[in-house]
Amino acid sequence: MSRTETAGAPTDDAGGDEEFDPVGTLALIAVYFAILVLAWVYIYYIEFLGRDLVVVG
Amino acid sequence: MHIHAYEKIWLALSIVLILFLLGSVTYGAVGPGVAMVADSEAQIDANALDEDDRFAEPRVEQVGENEYEAYVVAYQFGFDPSPIVVPEDSTVTLQITSRDVIHGFEVAGTNANTMAVPGEVAEVTVEVGEPQEYGIVCNEYCGAGHHGMEGKLHVVTEEEFESEDGGDSE
Amino acid sequence: MSDALEAEETFLDRYPAEAKIVRSAFLGSFLALTLGAIFGIIQTLHRTGIFRGIIDSSDYYTVLTAHGVFLVISFTVFFLVGLFTWAVVRSLDRPLVNIKITWTWYLLMAGGMTMTGISILAGFVDAIDMSADVLYTFYAPLQAHPLFYTGLAVFIVGSWLAGADWFRTWLAWREENPNERIPLQTFMVLTTMIMWYIASSAVAASVLIFLLPWSLGLIESVNPTLTRTLFWFFGHPVVYFWLMPAYLLWYTVLPSIAGGRLFSDPLARVVFVLFLLLSTPVGIHHQYLDPGIAEGFKFISMTNTMFLLLPSLLTAFTVVASVEYGARQRGGTGVFGWLRLLPWRDPAFTGMMLAGLMFAAGGFSGMVNAGMNVNYMIHNTIWVPGHFHLTVGTAVALTFMAATYWLWPQITNKPIYSSQIGLFQVVLWFIGMALMSNAMHAQGLLGVPRRTAEPEYSGFDYPVAFGGFEELNVQIAIGGTLLFLSTVLFIGNLVLTMGNPRVSGIAETLRPALSGPDDAPEVLDDLRIWVGIAVTLVVLAYALPLAAIINDGGLLGPGVGTYPVWIDAAVGTLADVAVPAAWSLVDALAFLGFRLLDAAASGVVA
Repeated sequence: MSRTETAGAPTDDAGGDEEFDPVGTLALIAVYFAILVLAWVYIYYIEFLGRDLVVVG
Repeated sequence: MHIHAYEKIWLALSIVLILFLLGSVTYGAVGPGVAMVADSEAQIDANALDEDDRFAEPRVEQVGENEYEAYVVAYQFGFDPSPIVVPEDSTVTLQITSRDVIHGFEVAGTNANTMAVPGEVAEVTVEVGEPQEYGIVCNEYCGAGHHGMEGKLHVVTEEEFESEDGGDSE
Repeated sequence: MSDALEAEETFLDRYPAEAKIVRSAFLGSFLALTLGAIFGIIQTLHRTGIFRGIIDSSDYYTVLTAHGVFLVISFTVFFLVGLFTWAVVRSLDRPLVNIKITWTWYLLMAGGMTMTGISILAGFVDAIDMSADVLYTFYAPLQAHPLFYTGLAVFIVGSWLAGADWFRTWLAWREENPNERIPLQTFMVLTTMIMWYIASSAVAASVLIFLLPWSLGLIESVNPTLTRTLFWFFGHPVVYFWLMPAYLLWYTVLPSIAGGRLFSDPLARVVFVLFLLLSTPVGIHHQYLDPGIAEGFKFISMTNTMFLLLPSLLTAFTVVASVEYGARQRGGTGVFGWLRLLPWRDPAFTGMMLAGLMFAAGGFSGMVNAGMNVNYMIHNTIWVPGHFHLTVGTAVALTFMAATYWLWPQITNKPIYSSQIGLFQVVLWFIGMALMSNAMHAQGLLGVPRRTAEPEYSGFDYPVAFGGFEELNVQIAIGGTLLFLSTVLFIGNLVLTMGNPRVSGIAETLRPALSGPDDAPEVLDDLRIWVGIAVTLVVLAYALPLAAIINDGGLLGPGVGTYPVWIDAAVGTLADVAVPAAWSLVDALAFLGFRLLDAAASGVVA
């Protein structure tokens, strides 16, 4: 699978001299963050606090 | 230790998220006043519930103006009393225990939900509104007949409550 | 690095004795997976009311106990011990200290699980006075047959010896390699095992001090709140015990499969240390709705739990970045365009990525579970199994299956029978789980309870929302069926793989991290410090609640009866005769079990 490629190019990316910026990762994870916040707001503030028989004591 | 700038951003966002979640839960506690089932009641002997003045006769009792207490016993496989009948627009404190194994007490589709543990008394206070019929399920596995274990919570009008109350008392 | 050399050899070539133990562990794991899947399909059809002709509703709980114990104890932990053995030996590049010790713990674990398994399955046979229908959580005062608890204790002791075996091997390596950093995979194994020692001590204490003596009639009663609390002391960290092998694969194998490299070795170490520290002092979040535990303790547990999100969120970034690096190396461009250049045809890659995606979704329902008061809405509803089928049921299980496609050839020299079937299988799992889990979450919001043979009630109807109770049942049944088919394809593919001839030239290498261990502060490798802090945090979180529980209810409870699931009142005396008889039967069966496993293991080699 990926071995040939690996064996052929062991040094092309060996150094950390030129830093790799994971832009795509940052974008994906930002989308995830937004989904988490929205879903939480819905579940907590609308579903949960909107229900009957809230336990108050 | 070297941490990439993007990873620092994500770390900061993650901490913001965690604080937001903790903040929401705290808001729920102080704003709408959601309280947790806790250790408010002393332990009791589950083998001797008939000697306990609350659970010897499971019932609903008026304890103040518009305030009621319900003493509920969960057992294999049912709840006593069933139905639990309370008047509309009142504050109801449920004290729930088990006389045998661990059960659950969940008013289906609502936030009233607690464990019923033998030897412990769970106390939850809820405010009921309009007349309505709720189902109660045992949501903890309690033995081979677990799926048949259900109860009812009836919120009735003031008049119905008066008449039922009169009829119920033995 | 020794990577160049390793490239020529598979793990089997280099460490045949260790490869055999890894294979045996995996076979034990897949046997449990097969059983678990059979019970799973029975359960999903019964519960949803699609087909209730296979079992009676009262036997549903035997099925449920078997499904839970076989999958979350046998399947996961046997895979873990196999994977960890591979990871330690591979990353230290040295054999285990003494393979006899290794086989000893393997046989203890297999024997323990056989005992527990027999005690559960006996529940189907009315003629045998034995049952353990207490579900995976075995809450007292429901009482299982003593064999159930004995088997669990033996199994746990076996897992402790396994950890000791890996620690010894590491110590031997350290003698030979002074001043070297602990290799990442070994670091992950050691930190996970420290967590396991701390966590499992509580359940071992609960079983050995209370439950086993009680089931043998040596003590009258137990304190249900105490044994329940000790269970959850173990019961939450155990989910990280399932998850850490998946993390190990995501961090150390997935980047290489994607043609990338791990983004940051130091952060991976930080993440594992955080799990070691935070996994245990959180168990009370499973008891938010328990009477007998003060609200303050619940709040502390919630705070710890929420901070436990941190290592998982960091993992999401690091793993995705490592994969993105691979795609960029292949010429991937754009903010999202690089995603197209990933090796989606490789079942190992796609399986792990889909598992990670599901874990992200499970992360959300986990946040809800962790929120103290929002627990009123979903506690003990089917939302909760909906959640953990995303985490242990997919993030863990699908990662294990996907990793098998990559790892199995390395420990057998046999290429996978069909990569296409493998790819189809992992996608099918994802689709099945998406359907099933989503519907379970939605039913949970309607108030439908978990752990019940018949979730419909005579006295009331569920509110109509999210498609309604009945429609959601159909979704659960379809999803569960797809998951069963996916398991059949996985096992079938593997069985056919065993028939393949051995080949050479299939060795795979793991590539070093972009930011290597030298960037990590030395203190991370000082395990004694982390043990100290972890124990301190556990004491802080648990000393007061446990003291309060014992103070209030006593060690043996405030007066609680005993409710054996394994004796009908009428035949109680019979049990006195039946127990010793059953024991000898079990000994014989366990012995047979070992021989079979051993034979199966050698069969794979041959």
